[in-house]
Order: sequence, then C-alpha cells, then structure tokens
Amino acid sequence: MNQNIKIANLKGLFTAFFLLCTMISKAQMSKIELQATGLTCSMCSNAIYKQLETIPGVEKIDTDLNTNTFTVALKQGNELTPRVFKEKVEKAGFFVGSFIVTTTDISKQNNYIIIDGKAKNQKATKFKVLDKGYLTDKEYKKAVKNYKEIASYSKENEADFHVKVLN
Amino acid sequence: MKKIVFVFLVLFLQRLNAQELFVITDPASNVPAKSLAVNLMQSMFKEQFVSGYNYHLMPEITYGLNKNLMVRTSAFVSNRSNQLYLEGGSFMAKYRFYSTDDLNSHFRIAAYGRYSFNRADIHQEQIEILGHNTGYEAGIIATKLIKKLAISSSLSYEQALDNHPDHDFPASFGNNATNYTLSFGRLVYPKKYKNFKQTNINLMLEFAGQTINENGKSFLDITPAVQFIFNSQARIDLAYRREIYSSMLRTAPNGVYINLYYTFFNVTGKATVKE
Repeated sequence: MNQNIKIANLKGLFTAFFLLCTMISKAQMSKIELQATGLTCSMCSNAIYKQLETIPGVEKIDTDLNTNTFTVALKQGNELTPRVFKEKVEKAGFFVGSFIVTTTDISKQNNYIIIDGKAKNQKATKFKVLDKGYLTDKEYKKAVKNYKEIASYSKENEADFHVKVLN
Repeated sequence: MKKIVFVFLVLFLQRLNAQELFVITDPASNVPAKSLAVNLMQSMFKEQFVSGYNYHLMPEITYGLNKNLMVRTSAFVSNRSNQLYLEGGSFMAKYRFYSTDDLNSHFRIAAYGRYSFNRADIHQEQIEILGHNTGYEAGIIATKLIKKLAISSSLSYEQALDNHPDHDFPASFGNNATNYTLSFGRLVYPKKYKNFKQTNINLMLEFAGQTINENGKSFLDITPAVQFIFNSQARIDLAYRREIYSSMLRTAPNGVYINLYYTFFNVTGKATVKE
C-alpha cells in the first residue's frame, strides 16, 4: 500500500518536473530570418515558401528572391523552435545556410546555450544559431574548430541550440 | 545547326545564371516532399522512311515521398497506328543520396530506376523505354550548380524486353544499351528577381547519347530548349531535338517537344508541427 502511494507520488513529481521543463524550454521567438542554400530559381524559393506557410504560428513571410532569405514573423505565444523551420526547408529539397532569431528574454529559455557574446537586452535578443544544419557546410566546419572547447557543441545534440548573440 | 549551337554556347558563357529543370533529362534534385508535379509532354517527330509525323503524348505525375525520394508514373499515347492509342506506361523512383549545398550552389547525386511496359510494334534499333520499348533502366545522375550555371550528367543501363503481347524484341538487335547525357541550363530573365509572379525564362542545351552494348552502334542528339516559368508554379518547355550522329536504325530522330508542367505544393494537407 505504502509502496503504491510512493509510486503515485513519484509519478506526480515526474509529471510536475516534466511540465516545468516543457514550460521553461518553450521558445518565444518573435521573428526568424533564414537563408536557404542550394538554389537560384524562384520556383525553388516558392517550394520553400509553401512549406513555411504550413507551420502553425507563422504570421507573415517576406521573401528576398535574390538572396533566398525568408523573414518570418511569428504569432505571440508560439511554441516553435528552429528545428521545424530546418525540417521544412529540407522537405522542399534545400538546406538552411543561416538562421537568425529575434526572441524575448533569452535567459528564460533553457534550450538555448549562448556560446558566443552576451545578451544585453532582456526584451529583444537577436542571435544566430550555430548548430549543424543551420550554417553552410564551410561555416560549420570553421565553427567546430572555433568552439572545440564547448563539449556540448560538438555532440550535435538536436534538442539544444548553440547560439551567438548578435546585439 | 552549327549556328544554333554557337548562339547557345555564347549565351551560356556570357553570364552564368542557370536552372536545372531540364526538358529531356532529370536533375539529381527531386520535387519537394508531399508535392505533386503534373507534366503533359507532347512530341512531334518527323518520320525518316515514310511521310508524316510521329506524335507522342506522355502525361506523367511525380510525387515527393520525402526530401530524398520521389516516384513518378507515366502513360504513353501515340498515333503510330494512325489513331491515338494507349501503348503503355511507366514507373520510376529517384533517390537523392548525396548533397552538398552552399549559398547559390550545390552538388547532388541521385540514383534512379524505371520500369516501362509497351505494346507498340518495335521498329528501330534505338532502345527507348519512354514510349517505345518494354524494359527497365537504372542509372545515376550528378548535378552541379556553380554560381548560377547548372550542369547535369547521367549514366544509365537500359534493358529492352519483348513488347507483349504481339511484338517480341528482334533477335537481330542488341537488347541492352548504355545511355549518357550532359545538360546545361541558364536563367536569362529576370536579371533581378522582384516577386514570385515574375515570369522566368531559361535556356537549356542538352546532349543525349546511346550505345548498344552488344554491337557498339551509337547515336548522339542535341536538344536546345527555351523554358517559361509562370507564377513560380507552372512551366512551358519548347524544345527541338536533332540527331548529330547515328550508326543505328532510328525511324524518327528529329522533332519538337512541348511540355506543360504544373506543381501542386503540399497536396497531402497541412503538416502538423512536431514541436
């Protein structure tokens, strides 16, 4: 009997802990700017645009066809992370070469690890994602050398994002 | 003919800015995942030994299963029997297994396989499972986009079988061949993109050859093409194919293509976000 209560308590504790983790780790991205690689045609850009359009939480997409840069405004309270954008670009048949996020209060988000720079403004921080799949192949190779002392970076952990603060 | 080749080469060398949506060959890239591309290919080739033209209608549907794999099915209709006649069909799958992308450039390699069936009469030594022979083909394609010039090349093995039920493959012909292609593509308009609605114009130059493995008989064709893309979604290709060299029997090697192509993006509904 006692053991059952203990298990129930433990389960409750786990649930609470899990919920807390989920809440903390939800990103509050307000805007992202991604540059796609491997394309030069507007039909290819359109394929990416159509993929990005399917993401719930996307409010508006502005496209620069000459640089293949997509500036995406996101709805308030969205729970998106950079991963969904990367997956969509890859579904269109291309890759992400640069990924810049504007977010509110990065210090509250424990799935972003700042490895370069320091967040000065708590209200709006702009940062660049440095993980594999968010940079061009050449830039990633350089970054691996630059950040070799950061153990978690080279592990290619998909849940966390290693970032460089831009402002 | 030499003039046409010269004009195209000059255009390519002037400014490198290109596409890879080729007319008679496929690039290593695939259609986007969950998207459906519909292509209505029509060709009119002049008969060499009798008067008249050989008309082929080839509707095809391509679907992107995921980011690396696409499948395609085609139907073959022709007027060879003096009226429009459904001669056969084809299934194809293409898998992109290598990609290195950089800003405005990429190098990709894909492997593909195709099986076709056809009940038309066999009237030439050339093996063509797209609309003439029953058979299969397996090949590899490499496509390079340098700055904005697209260059693509493919190598494949093609095996002809009997055209059931009435037309066996002639024993005097070699029934398998090696195919090779080299394609160039270049965007000529617009010089600078403004929006998705802008019409794009591409120029293509493609070379396609075949060697029958058993006897070494070969041909090489050149196909210049102009391509219009509307609304970043619809495409019209106009192409002229001409034999440069041949040592084998071909009944209608020279002619024109008109392709109408439309892409339906995300046909399987809006994907849910995993986050």
